[in-house]
Amino acid sequence: MRTGGLICALLTLLAADAACANDIAVALTDSVVEVDAGFAGARIVLFGAVEGLAAPANEASPYDIVAVLRGPDADFRIRPMERRGLIWTRGPGIRVEGAPGFYIVAATQPVEDFAPPDLRRALEIGAAHLDIAARLDASDGRAREVLARHGAQALTEAFLEAGRETGRFREIAGAVAFHKGPLFSIAIDLPPTTPIGEYEARVYLIRDGEAIAQDSAALSVDKVGIERRIYDLAHQRPIAYGLFCVAMSLGAGWLAAAAFRK
Amino acid sequence: MQIYLPIAEMPVDPFVVVMLGGAVGFLSGMFGVGGGFLMTPLLIFYGIPPAVAVGTEAAQIVGSSVSGATAHLRRKAVDFQMGWILVAGGAAGALTGVAIFRSLREAGQIEVFISLAYMIFLGLIGALMLAESLRKLLRSAEPGARKRRRRRTAWMAALPFAMRFRRSQLYISPLPPLVLGYFVGVLSAVMGVGGGFIMVPAMIYLLQMPTNVVVGTSLFQIMFVTAVTTVLHAAANYTVDIVLALLLLAGGVIGAQLGARIGVLLKAEQLRALLALIVLAVCVRLAFGLVLPPPAPYVVEAL
Repeated sequence: MRTGGLICALLTLLAADAACANDIAVALTDSVVEVDAGFAGARIVLFGAVEGLAAPANEASPYDIVAVLRGPDADFRIRPMERRGLIWTRGPGIRVEGAPGFYIVAATQPVEDFAPPDLRRALEIGAAHLDIAARLDASDGRAREVLARHGAQALTEAFLEAGRETGRFREIAGAVAFHKGPLFSIAIDLPPTTPIGEYEARVYLIRDGEAIAQDSAALSVDKVGIERRIYDLAHQRPIAYGLFCVAMSLGAGWLAAAAFRK
Repeated sequence: MQIYLPIAEMPVDPFVVVMLGGAVGFLSGMFGVGGGFLMTPLLIFYGIPPAVAVGTEAAQIVGSSVSGATAHLRRKAVDFQMGWILVAGGAAGALTGVAIFRSLREAGQIEVFISLAYMIFLGLIGALMLAESLRKLLRSAEPGARKRRRRRTAWMAALPFAMRFRRSQLYISPLPPLVLGYFVGVLSAVMGVGGGFIMVPAMIYLLQMPTNVVVGTSLFQIMFVTAVTTVLHAAANYTVDIVLALLLLAGGVIGAQLGARIGVLLKAEQLRALLALIVLAVCVRLAFGLVLPPPAPYVVEAL
């Protein structure tokens, strides 16, 4: 995130007026995704406009747009499955500290086709550049053993694969829809497994392998209504919640049986 | 339509969940068993995290045992003295069980443990039930089945603090029911079952209680112990999903009533053989899950 800001600042300082005239601005149609009793995933739409460049239909100034939607950082543990006798069990694992639980890249075309590796690394575009290896916590002996035996690359790939499988990690090409004039929109589907928390969508305008402008928008995914109440009660006052569950279950069981007897 | 479960943190189809509750309720009404030992593995097959399946089942059993327990109370078919001793043992057992559960969960071994425990458990129970019902089916031609009244074993009589249980017309030490209650309490907390299928035979054969108070007293104990288990799981593991429990309960109560009505039309031994086959099928499905290579070589747990 900091690197991106730095690059933009440098661009602004160094580039001539002509470069600064190119700009990109985005906004989310909804800045809050509400996880309620009916939540089964959601679609968010980033709306934006490009300034100072013609639409990409004009081949004289081709450019690309890439959006990176990144979810809240969290800790994880990767465990290799191990066979013990007849059955498969989870072996000792290794912690991943502060890795995003959600990471989606949505662009006009595959990012490899328009953004050189250096740029992708600097802006953390693409899950491969999240540097999961650096977040592996090998501070205790067991974790070091896991790291030595399986290797950082296999562990990183396992982490990314788990994200891809649940739809939390994706790279979508052809995700940008162009509208009238300088307007564009990017629709991203959030799966039901979308973690709760604060998200940031960063959008880059890329031409000739360089990021010439960027903007960002904040998104928060939050439980609301009855979901929020039950969750909060269960975590903040667990004993009261347990008693509430017992009372609800007793009452419901009693009522249902009484209704049926008649 | 989908309903998002607040604790399991996943959307489910409420119709499917109610039907699942109804199907297990139907079986439990038909066979006169609790059904927790089928519901927990089925919830896991459906995709509910195993820890949530166990915690939620405890809450559901509270609700599904209340009508039976009160019916027996009205008929005065509950030995309260025995019931409270079993509950005391059960509460201590639940405390132990939830602690075991929590440490297994922190070690990341709870999924495998639950599957393994259920596989062994259902395998044993299914095999025993099948063997017994087959034996009886084969013998049903013979008139006058043997009836043995076993004498109370010597070690039971030798135990200290013997007291009189008036309702059960027993004079025994409270230690065996206390230990029995404890054992069932641990089981209830670790596996999300009521434990009636162990409690009832143990009361008849071990404690030698008269059969007319056995079911009522067992339901009384189950209701209280699963209530304690629910609160403990909620407090220690945050794994009780009340929305899921209520959906299952809605289906379960209706299913149980239907099952009880249809059950009287069928022969007991055929019923038992059928239940044994269902139990063994779930056991085999669990065994496949444990023995077959996992879908991915690694698992990633959110902390």
